Amino acid sequence: MEPSYNSHVKRIILGLVIFAAVGLIGKKFMTPDSFGMYGHYRADAIQEEADREMRHKTNAPCLPCHIYEAELHLNGLHKTISCEFCHGPMADHITAGMKTGELPVKKGEEIKVLCLRCHNKAIHARPEDVIRTVVMPDHLRDQKVRETHTCNQCHHVHAPYNYIDQAKQALGIKEAS
Amino acid sequence: MDKEKPELDEDRRTFIKKVLKGTLAGSLLLVIPLRADDPGTSEQIPEDTPEQIPGIRGREYDMSRHRFVFVVDVTRCIGCGSCCVADKREYNVPDGHYRTWVERYIKDIDENIYVDCPNGGLDGYQKPREDLDRPVRDTFFVPKLCNMCKDPSCVQVCPVGATFRSPDGFVLIDSKRCIGCGYCIQACPYSVRFLNPVTRTAEKCTWCYHRIRKGLLPACVQVCPTKARKFGDLNDKESEVYKILSGPGVITVLKKDMGNSPSLYYKGVRREVI
Repeated sequence: MEPSYNSHVKRIILGLVIFAAVGLIGKKFMTPDSFGMYGHYRADAIQEEADREMRHKTNAPCLPCHIYEAELHLNGLHKTISCEFCHGPMADHITAGMKTGELPVKKGEEIKVLCLRCHNKAIHARPEDVIRTVVMPDHLRDQKVRETHTCNQCHHVHAPYNYIDQAKQALGIKEAS
Repeated sequence: MDKEKPELDEDRRTFIKKVLKGTLAGSLLLVIPLRADDPGTSEQIPEDTPEQIPGIRGREYDMSRHRFVFVVDVTRCIGCGSCCVADKREYNVPDGHYRTWVERYIKDIDENIYVDCPNGGLDGYQKPREDLDRPVRDTFFVPKLCNMCKDPSCVQVCPVGATFRSPDGFVLIDSKRCIGCGYCIQACPYSVRFLNPVTRTAEKCTWCYHRIRKGLLPACVQVCPTKARKFGDLNDKESEVYKILSGPGVITVLKKDMGNSPSLYYKGVRREVI
């Protein structure tokens, strides 16, 4: 083709048009469908986050099977504690109504560590109106038991005053206030 | 010929049985996916789990109806770390990273402040600090989590639109778009973000958005034994958070001067807390 006076301008314009067309087509294909529905992001991501697997399922589904523990838990001072904190998430135990795994039960020294997470008086910032705290091993000495005792030998883990109240009732002991 | 006939009848009978079974199975297959497509996502919730946030279940979720806030009552936190444990388990957070954590503030008699947070509070606080020379005057715990800012700096700096503030006020991350550049981690004034070493994308506390949409409280609020963590809808005048935020008492947000306008409020927090 014979080069005309402004053929270089035409070439530049043609180049720009092709560039814009490729860009626009590329953008159309590569932008996710829901992008920009609410703002500069993919709106579907909200639903994806909402559909995330829920691993903790509150205390409610535990109680119908573990009736003995439920009775104690609901009537004891530990009723605000989540089952899943000590025993692990429900998702590791039940899947679609079927038992899929055993959850751990703390024993022996583990119990002591677990109890003192909350009830250790040595850590300040534990106000009396929120939680009752003890100093170890002073508490064991005060109660006149061996210092090797673990907490759950006197306190039921699901209802801390259950045994103690029962013993007091049986022996007719009144609280010295 | 006499022998063949009964065989033929039996074949016809089994054939009809098979066709019937096939039709039934086929129609069942047609019905089952219909439930899965239901936007309610109710199948994940066990039927015996009572609703914890009123006004979410049993209706279409309207993003503009709610104004969720998180309130941390510092005066009730005992530093047990239940929240940290629940959070790690809910999301399988990799070791060494924390979506939420509990800091211990210690003030000695000369008003010096010492802050520590061993393993993010995951193991609780079993022992008092022994490395301080002067007598301790005051100790308190401060749980930290995403502030869900109304003007989030993390969203501003994201180059690919992977993090955003949803119309219902949650700052979330689209892990499919995140390129792991880490700008948001640097921009967050509260240091709540981290780069997940497995997925190599940014991650942070979402206030358990997936639980809230099912009418349940965030995992950390659910397990808190002393009700130090509270969550609710400010548009619900009956909610506990509305009563706290509209009532008396010291209510503050962290780093107010950063101008991020957090939706996370602290009750009874000391001015030393940053």
